[in-house]
Amino acid sequence: MTTTRPRVGGFVLLQVLWKSFFFLAAANYQRMQNVGFATCMLPALRRLHRGPELRAALERHLEFFNSHPYMACAVLGAAVRMEEDIAAGTASPERVRAFKRTMMGPLAALGDGFFWTSLKPFCAACAVLGLLLGHAWAPIGFLALYNACHLSVRVFGIFRGYRVAEQVAIDLNRLRLVRLSDWAHVLTGLVLGVVAAQQAFVARTSGLALGDGLEPFLLGTLTVISFLCLKRQLPMLALLYAFALGCIVFVLGMQSIFPILGG
Amino acid sequence: MDPVALGLDLAVIALIGGGLSLDRRGAFQLMLSQPVVAVPLLALCLGAPGAGLQLGAVLQLLWMASSLFGANVPQNETVASLAIGGMVFLTQRHTEPPAPLALEGMAILLGAPLSLVGRWAEVQTDRANMLLARRADTLVRGDHPERIGRLPWLGLVRAFIVGAGLVAGGALVGFALLGLLHHALNGLTLGTAITAVEVYVIPAVGLGVALSHLRRRRALALATVSFVLALLLLRPGGSP
Repeated sequence: MTTTRPRVGGFVLLQVLWKSFFFLAAANYQRMQNVGFATCMLPALRRLHRGPELRAALERHLEFFNSHPYMACAVLGAAVRMEEDIAAGTASPERVRAFKRTMMGPLAALGDGFFWTSLKPFCAACAVLGLLLGHAWAPIGFLALYNACHLSVRVFGIFRGYRVAEQVAIDLNRLRLVRLSDWAHVLTGLVLGVVAAQQAFVARTSGLALGDGLEPFLLGTLTVISFLCLKRQLPMLALLYAFALGCIVFVLGMQSIFPILGG
Repeated sequence: MDPVALGLDLAVIALIGGGLSLDRRGAFQLMLSQPVVAVPLLALCLGAPGAGLQLGAVLQLLWMASSLFGANVPQNETVASLAIGGMVFLTQRHTEPPAPLALEGMAILLGAPLSLVGRWAEVQTDRANMLLARRADTLVRGDHPERIGRLPWLGLVRAFIVGAGLVAGGALVGFALLGLLHHALNGLTLGTAITAVEVYVIPAVGLGVALSHLRRRRALALATVSFVLALLLLRPGGSP
């Protein structure tokens, strides 16, 4: 006797993909992204289960879940595949629970390390440089570069996860996001150096030039002091106001000594 | 000053603030909410295309390290940068503005703490969302479990209202404060001091934030090398 394995189809996967864009809409401190995960799974679960089975399936996806919102798509795709197996009676619900528990932590670390701390700063540094050089389209370039990677990972995660289930972890590893992350950090450093130089050039042409080409020296010194203070966990706002106060006091002092300054 | 035009501008600022607050966390996360995009976008929606480019760049540097890690809620760069942009654009459109650099510098100093207010509001939103999680449990045990599909929309509406309120409120209060400081900013002393803050201090702190975010030592070395090389190229007569 052969049993037909229930399938959700491409349209349902597209619905899951669409709902994944609202993954963090109901994020909460109790079970983090559980409502987001369950609502993303809803189109597939409605197709696969009815009555008490649907209720049980939703309950297992309302358990604690916390991962990176883009990388979670791989878990979603694989979970849809596993739900098909559960509906066909070839897998136990514990399989999807265990998979989610195992994957959410490593994927969060991978996604945070790549998207938040590497790709976003790199794209943003390029956009900042573009704007300082007078290219008004730089924000569009930022969006295009960042979202090309972002959307690719979402789509890949859902469809590849659905195709290979647990094996998606191996496929994600093949993307070499850790290595790309290292390169993004290095390139960001390169771009930020040019941003600093361009900022010094802006200072020189601002009407507050120090003369003798001292603007890069002052900007560089302030940047190094900021960097060292921030590395020692001084809050950015405290540093900003301390410097601003120092600057105002300095200008006031200078003007009381040399009233002509700035005229 | 035309109060109707001011009200319309505030409504646009609120709409953009609410919409981009959703992009920051609740919906899409396409990074439209990053200052480098959000501030020029706000300028475009207020009918001033091309404005706010430099401001967006500086604000992006200041909040480069602001990232959502797990349960960590960082400073809300979207609320702060949109409120700062709103203050600047409202002042430029509805009063006789002071010098642009002094105006932007003072707006940043006035608006930067809104990033902390935005973070506090986000924490409260997450706490309020615990009710949605409990409601989801109740719905799943009831007759219509598929109704949990509506819950994220409630979270989005809440985030939109909070973001819109904070951005519009911050922009309006900042606009009023900038109006009070108008004469002082046009004066020699405070005007020069705030221009110096905008030209030297804020970019330096922003660059410090961005560099402190780098995780590789060779990235810092490369930043130094590229800084020196770019200076040589950008010096008068050295530009290619």
